[in-house]
Amino acid sequence: MGRRKKIVQECERLMDEPENIRNIAIAAHVDHGKTTLSDNLLAGAGMISDETAGEQLAMDTEEDEQERGITIDAANVSMTHEYEGTNHLINLIDTPGHVDFGGDVTRAMRAVDGALVVVDAVEGAMPQTETVLRQALREGVKPTLFINKVDRLISELQEGPEEMQRRLVSVINDVNELIRGMTEEMDDIEDWTVSVEDGTVGFGSALYKWGVSMPSMQRTGMDFGDIMDLERSDKRQELHERTPLSDVVLDMVCEHFPNPVDAQPRRIPRIWRGDDDTELAEGMRLVDEDGEVVFMVTDIGMDPHAGEIASGRVFSGSLEKGQELYVSGTAGKNRIQSVGIYMGGEREEVERVPAGNIAAVTGLKDAIAGSTVSSVEMTPFESIEHISEPVITKSVEAKSMDDLPKLIETLRQVSKEDPTIQIEINEETGEHLISGQGELHLEVITQRIEKNQGIPVNTGEPIVVYREQPQEPSDEIEGISPNRHNRFYVSIEPMSDELVEAIQLGEASMDMPEQERREALQNAGMEKDDSQEVEHIHGTNILIDDTKGIQHLNETMELVIEGFEDALNNGPLANEPVQGTLIRLHDARLHEDTIHRGPAQVIPATRNALHNALIDGRIKMLEPMQDVRIDVPNDHMGAASGEIQGRRGRVDDMYQEGDLMVVEGIAPVGEMIGFASDIRSATEGRASWNTENAGFEVMSDSLQREKIMEIRERKGMKLELPEIIQYI
Amino acid sequence: MLTFIGLGLYDERSITVEGREALRAADRAYAEFYTSELLGTTVADLESAHDVSIEVRDRAGVEREPEEMLAAAESEDVAFLTAGDTMISTTHVDLRLRAHDRGIETRVIHGVTAQTAASSLTGLQNYRFGKATTLPFPYAHGADGLPASVTETIDANRADGLHTVVYLDIKAERGEYMTADTGAELLADVYPELVGVVVARAGSPAPLVAAGRMRELAERSFGDPLHLLVVPGECHLLEADALVELAGAEEDALDVA
Repeated sequence: MGRRKKIVQECERLMDEPENIRNIAIAAHVDHGKTTLSDNLLAGAGMISDETAGEQLAMDTEEDEQERGITIDAANVSMTHEYEGTNHLINLIDTPGHVDFGGDVTRAMRAVDGALVVVDAVEGAMPQTETVLRQALREGVKPTLFINKVDRLISELQEGPEEMQRRLVSVINDVNELIRGMTEEMDDIEDWTVSVEDGTVGFGSALYKWGVSMPSMQRTGMDFGDIMDLERSDKRQELHERTPLSDVVLDMVCEHFPNPVDAQPRRIPRIWRGDDDTELAEGMRLVDEDGEVVFMVTDIGMDPHAGEIASGRVFSGSLEKGQELYVSGTAGKNRIQSVGIYMGGEREEVERVPAGNIAAVTGLKDAIAGSTVSSVEMTPFESIEHISEPVITKSVEAKSMDDLPKLIETLRQVSKEDPTIQIEINEETGEHLISGQGELHLEVITQRIEKNQGIPVNTGEPIVVYREQPQEPSDEIEGISPNRHNRFYVSIEPMSDELVEAIQLGEASMDMPEQERREALQNAGMEKDDSQEVEHIHGTNILIDDTKGIQHLNETMELVIEGFEDALNNGPLANEPVQGTLIRLHDARLHEDTIHRGPAQVIPATRNALHNALIDGRIKMLEPMQDVRIDVPNDHMGAASGEIQGRRGRVDDMYQEGDLMVVEGIAPVGEMIGFASDIRSATEGRASWNTENAGFEVMSDSLQREKIMEIRERKGMKLELPEIIQYI
Repeated sequence: MLTFIGLGLYDERSITVEGREALRAADRAYAEFYTSELLGTTVADLESAHDVSIEVRDRAGVEREPEEMLAAAESEDVAFLTAGDTMISTTHVDLRLRAHDRGIETRVIHGVTAQTAASSLTGLQNYRFGKATTLPFPYAHGADGLPASVTETIDANRADGLHTVVYLDIKAERGEYMTADTGAELLADVYPELVGVVVARAGSPAPLVAAGRMRELAERSFGDPLHLLVVPGECHLLEADALVELAGAEEDALDVA
């Protein structure tokens, strides 16, 4: 029997013992070394050869990932590890660190109970460390910390013991401060800060495969002094053999991360809004392998042979071949063709996957990343909220007309696999639009279409996604239907940032029970009376029905909403989406007969009313912004900050960190296009940089008209604004 | 001058003599057929019968862009035509008011409408009708099941002992006309045992009137459109006699005062 086969068998045996299972993710800022760390763990578990760990990047399975040296999709793997005499099954999800792929990180967190946060000892906690931590904590996932690249402190920076200690303590303090701030208001979470003494912090070098922690020091008798000596004298192989990284980290995982039986009772209320008192809920809390099947899909992958593979977490019941399961949001059932677990990039078919595990399933043709799959119809898991909205769009068209159907199918597939991608299919022009998190995100997607599907495509210039938002409350505006028998009276006001954020984070949505929604809205600062009259939420906009007892309004409301949605999707300035607007419907006069208050009457009336109200509220254009951080040697600092300032950007801070200068600032996404090559040439390739989406900001008055006209021209709209817009 | 002319119920001959003379004398004629249609004729036949050319306008062309018609009416005699009467159902009073705003003289020449046909073919007295309502196709409204406007109207009328005319939805642009069996089927959801009276092809040489319980009417078929339904309230003795004789109603099923 081959080694691999043996591991699969052992995994299958352990799957039935939820107490010995750990579902974990490794999450970090880009380049802090999580993929290398993952490979260490695989090697430690005997899944890849010891020598190649670190070079093999076994979890970077896509060709473009290995080329770029960064991880793009979250990949899954199962391994076993013996801790205190008991064998444990560890299901690991690797997550991408680049901000453009943030949706994958959020989804990975839904499937796991523990997150190993990796931080580079030299760089310290970075913006995305904060982002991934927040994503983990919001999903109720417990963190531990691994400080990587400690070898650089010793060998490269030649730091003494005290200097090093100060640096490591400050990294730990920074991370703890983040954890404390984020968990302050979470009642279901006790103290989740990490500490060396508790053993929830590990140190080491993924590159040289050694690691250390308080428990490991006690076990191996190796203290920091011994480690520094060996590292200094270049005896890294010995260091690896005496205190291997994988043991340190996997012990920490087994000791400090909750198993599914401990985690699910706490996590289920946090991530599922269904009825607590049902057998179904009980099955999930108890991780009951004989209960109803509940499977949350966190990722859809493509296998050239098996087709679509849905992977995710089994919360209850057992997945088996041939089961007919419901897929949330779709009618009818899907039949499971095979079930399996992941071993590196490959899938191993197994008989069944019981509750508490990560599974890979084929046959769920209707599932998308985020679907709830179950043996009985149930309240789906809360939709997974993505922190970042798409900010950039590109057109894609097939070079050859013959490829058109295949391209459309591929685009649909792409948006299924990655819900942070939005696609707009235009069968008439053949010019389709894909929107995503950044230039790189879209570049990767189009490359995949060309390489994996073999469809040659032409892509347009990247187009930035703008927003429109009113700046002040409007008067009450009348909207009249074309037949003039129906009238709607509407006003708008800009919403507070707090309220917008509550909607963005999914804390308040129309999917949740009314009472809970009211409370969430009130917590975000909405007046009690208003929170009771919320009729609809669209994007980050809220409709409040302030009318009292108007006959027939109920059956007309759907059309009213349709008109409002249309007006919000296509703002009055340049048909860009409207955000952060509170709409009040004050009054309505309706025709007696349904036929005379149909869609052709109500939709234009409400759409026009809302547009005019938005204009009365001085609606303006907003552009997406990115936080930019550049690490650069001192003599290139001027060039680096110039790259930000020259892009209508603002430099907020410049400071020394180690031997490098850090330049921090913010710039519009639109101006950041092409930044990668410009910064490279401006600094002779010496700068490393990172961007993070930072929401939308109102453009300056002097740029408003120019930008509006530019967009209108691109969209083939009239090049004059409605007459009532006087303020732009 | 803008003259509103009702074309009546069925074909090119359903117009009144006065209407015909006014139409022939007009410099221009516009018509809308999105509210209802004359199923016994075509626009071409109308044009040749009355020796005029007629420009048919869609809803947007009437409601949102009435400019051309109004401008023409400032200097010429313009006729505006609809099936039935121009001020019943889709009330074009809005167009008339806009004309007045611009100082254009207007007049109305009546046509026979489904509302009067409902009385005269069934024998139900005009004095004893309450509010009318339209039963829309299920895809055309936002309610689950029957729209409240329909049930509320029927219930309120019946509470007062009044009859209800239920117009059946017409989507002329899609060539869809709700037939009485479909309408009865929708109503049977709430009123399976209630008596309804079908009036089909009013104004044609072969009109049909038939009474029955909604669930029974749903199973029958009544031939070509247009159809409407009447839901009788409390019937006067003579009304009941008329429904039995003219519509084949079972006397026992009726609510006779």
